[in-house]
Amino acid sequence: MNGQKRTTTSLVDNPINRRTFVKTTVGLSFAVSFGGVLTACGDAPTANINSNIWVTIGSDNTIEIVCPATEMGQGSMTALPVILCEELDADWSTVNIVPVTRHDEAYGNPDFGGQLYTAGQASVESYFPIMRRAGAQARRVLLTMAAEYWSVPITELATENSLVLHRESGRSISYGELAANGNIPDPLPEVTEADFKPRDEYRIIGKVTNRLDIPEKVDGSAVFGIDIQLPDMHYGMVIRSPVEGSRPEQVTPSHADLEGIIAVELLDYGVGIVGISIDAVFEARKRIEVSWSDAGVAATRSSTKTLHEYQQIANDHSLTGSIWYERGDVKAALQESEQLIEAEYQTDYAYHAQMEPINATALVNEAGDAAEIWVSTQTQTLTVYAAAKALGTSNDKIIVHPTYIGGGFGRRTHMQYVEDAVLLSRATGMPVKVIWTREDDVKNGLFRPASAHQIRAGLDGDGHIHAWHHRIATPSVLEYFKPRRWENAGGIDVISMKSADNSNYDLPNMLAEHLITERHARIVPYRGIGAGYTKFVIESFVDEIALARKIDPLDMRIELSRNSPRMQTVLNEVAQLCDWRQPREETALGLCVTGYGETVAAGVAEVSLDKSRGTIRVHNFWAVIDPGLVIDPVNTEAQMQGAVIFGVSHTLKERITITDGIVDQSNFHDYPVLRMSEVPEVHVKVLSTDNPPSGVGETGVPLAAAAVANGVAALAGIRLRHLPLTPDRVLAALESKRAGQDA
Amino acid sequence: MTSFIVNGSPVETANAADTPLLWVLREHLKLTGTKFGCGKGLCGACTVHIDGEAVHSCLMPVSAVEGKEVTTIEGLSANANHPLQVAWVENQVPQCGYCQSGQIMKAAALLKQNKNPSRKEIVQFMDGNICRCGTYLRIISAIEQVAAEES
Repeated sequence: MNGQKRTTTSLVDNPINRRTFVKTTVGLSFAVSFGGVLTACGDAPTANINSNIWVTIGSDNTIEIVCPATEMGQGSMTALPVILCEELDADWSTVNIVPVTRHDEAYGNPDFGGQLYTAGQASVESYFPIMRRAGAQARRVLLTMAAEYWSVPITELATENSLVLHRESGRSISYGELAANGNIPDPLPEVTEADFKPRDEYRIIGKVTNRLDIPEKVDGSAVFGIDIQLPDMHYGMVIRSPVEGSRPEQVTPSHADLEGIIAVELLDYGVGIVGISIDAVFEARKRIEVSWSDAGVAATRSSTKTLHEYQQIANDHSLTGSIWYERGDVKAALQESEQLIEAEYQTDYAYHAQMEPINATALVNEAGDAAEIWVSTQTQTLTVYAAAKALGTSNDKIIVHPTYIGGGFGRRTHMQYVEDAVLLSRATGMPVKVIWTREDDVKNGLFRPASAHQIRAGLDGDGHIHAWHHRIATPSVLEYFKPRRWENAGGIDVISMKSADNSNYDLPNMLAEHLITERHARIVPYRGIGAGYTKFVIESFVDEIALARKIDPLDMRIELSRNSPRMQTVLNEVAQLCDWRQPREETALGLCVTGYGETVAAGVAEVSLDKSRGTIRVHNFWAVIDPGLVIDPVNTEAQMQGAVIFGVSHTLKERITITDGIVDQSNFHDYPVLRMSEVPEVHVKVLSTDNPPSGVGETGVPLAAAAVANGVAALAGIRLRHLPLTPDRVLAALESKRAGQDA
Repeated sequence: MTSFIVNGSPVETANAADTPLLWVLREHLKLTGTKFGCGKGLCGACTVHIDGEAVHSCLMPVSAVEGKEVTTIEGLSANANHPLQVAWVENQVPQCGYCQSGQIMKAAALLKQNKNPSRKEIVQFMDGNICRCGTYLRIISAIEQVAAEES
């Protein structure tokens, strides 16, 4: 097992610590801003080191690389440093990883407005240019230093595995020796696009790089947020209001009457309990009684009613939505069409079900205006904002120690739990680890929103799709979870509407509208975001059109993708993998494609159906993905396998319902997710292409639902238009088919 | 007061008799490799061995392990070199990793009682352990690899 790991050194915003970091490293640090301006610094602390050190080369030849993304299973903690290491031509086995522990735009994701934010399979796609440049710049400086050291022309030098080589004289010098003894060139040499390594010279990109986090995850030593232990640490829980918006009015008994409890704290949204042990808090929780204020209209919410309302809005053409994507003149084109096909689709709320329950640990200082937070978070930036806001202090007073994340999937982008921890630490003066039970999380979950769709296609005389009009009635996720961003978003919500643009299809007249509905539950991003339902609807509907035209769904998609050679390639590849034209006896195949960012993928599900029980089984799933340049083929395959399984899970089983404002589900017994006995074999083919690298962590999710629904349609002649495809819905569709045949 | 053996060492705890073993391990003994997932025996993240049998530590009152031997992921092997741990790395099984201690402990209990399980037997035995990242297929491969090597 290799000894590489995350360092305990971290980049903090305390200047003393920063100097310590630079000094104890003894070597060379390289800072590269997004504009490509390089600074380098020897072991003496200098004013030059501001905030954006990306790589530090120690005199002992170790290399520290900053990884701005948090690791939640997607592999970014390995993939991003690999990119830098490749361009630096460094020895991967000596690389250690440094996390970022504060809100710092220097490391922020440019595609998330400079926030440190790990989501949307964006890390590799967004950070590739900067990681590559940082590595190349540092290598160039080392070459320049070696040229001076040996007094030879730089053109005679090469690098390999953390060594600079002068082949003519047979000499070599390690990066560490140069860092200790060389002179930093002034001015610093700059690299250009032409200096980057050609892809055919890559030594680690595209090869199997065992993930750095895996050894710690097989022996129990990996530290997740919930594992944090601090001296004098106390434990906290919050009894949250059963209905959103109601407040605690009275609570009994007081903490003095509860053994091991040091505080029972009234918060705006619940009752916080802090105790000396987790068991004391559990015990107290059983005894505490709370009366709540009237929640008003929130206490009347029902998910059935909500979806009914959303559907009415989707169907009401007197209402126009926010335009997500428009091409041509869809209304005129629909009128000109020879044939009109129309359908309604609905999707239910879905819960993340990340395995690590929600938690955060905070230590607030005595003055109550600064905090350190240990937390599984997808975003250091929003963690800092939430803590600073709760304490009424400034962002620079908050230090975040991001840990491994036991499943993100979007759940750890909303920071209520950070608020819990800092408020309870401030109230007690103690470091407090706040843990939500699974029931707390489901009952107070932040879901993928319910959505209702009306979708219409107009076909011309040759049967080609002439007009495509998709109306999606669902709330804005951004408006709820990122209100500041929403203010400047112009009504465009990528979370709610992802992939409704059909960017890989040639549709001459097309309109995708977002009917922004009233929010009736707490909603946040969920793995695959809007694509989880938009692709279900779009790709199911494509099959409905293919059926009406009596053409093969594969041929139809090849035709629609005429302007997207990448999509056509993955389609042809997946068709070959699954032997698409080969009829099956007891099963049938269903197809789905998706673009996600720049990534394209196609998937085929092989399904069977128990007609008496209404249960669908997915036996095989073939998936082909083209994410441009592949950083790690094994991890890409693993991400696709996992995402497809996640996708099949939300397709078949996952459904949150709400009655009288209260979530009906509470744990894995009534919110089941796919288990080992239910998973399909997932056969993945990864295509590395000449395109820039794009993401791989989410693409598999939107591939699943329509592939399964289309397979069921092919097998049983029923069209399932409500996600998830639960047995009751399957049985109802079978019954209505029988009734139709009898009539 | 409950006395038992954890990973070969005797321990005594003063926790109430009905405190789940999970919390004694994690928050009192600081053995945090064993995970809290659901608290109801539904997900398997808290799986440990009691006298060699895989159990849900979240449902097990600490008083029930009086005098027994408890093994957690930290005590499964001396240097993370149990064949399953090695196979887990070779197969690059974990993603987020949170459920994997429980998965490995469950699989180790399986191989202890059945050195060469069929795929069906593996799936049947492992079905109580949820992996939300969907690493199930790699878990099966890793167990099959060890079974093939050992038999």
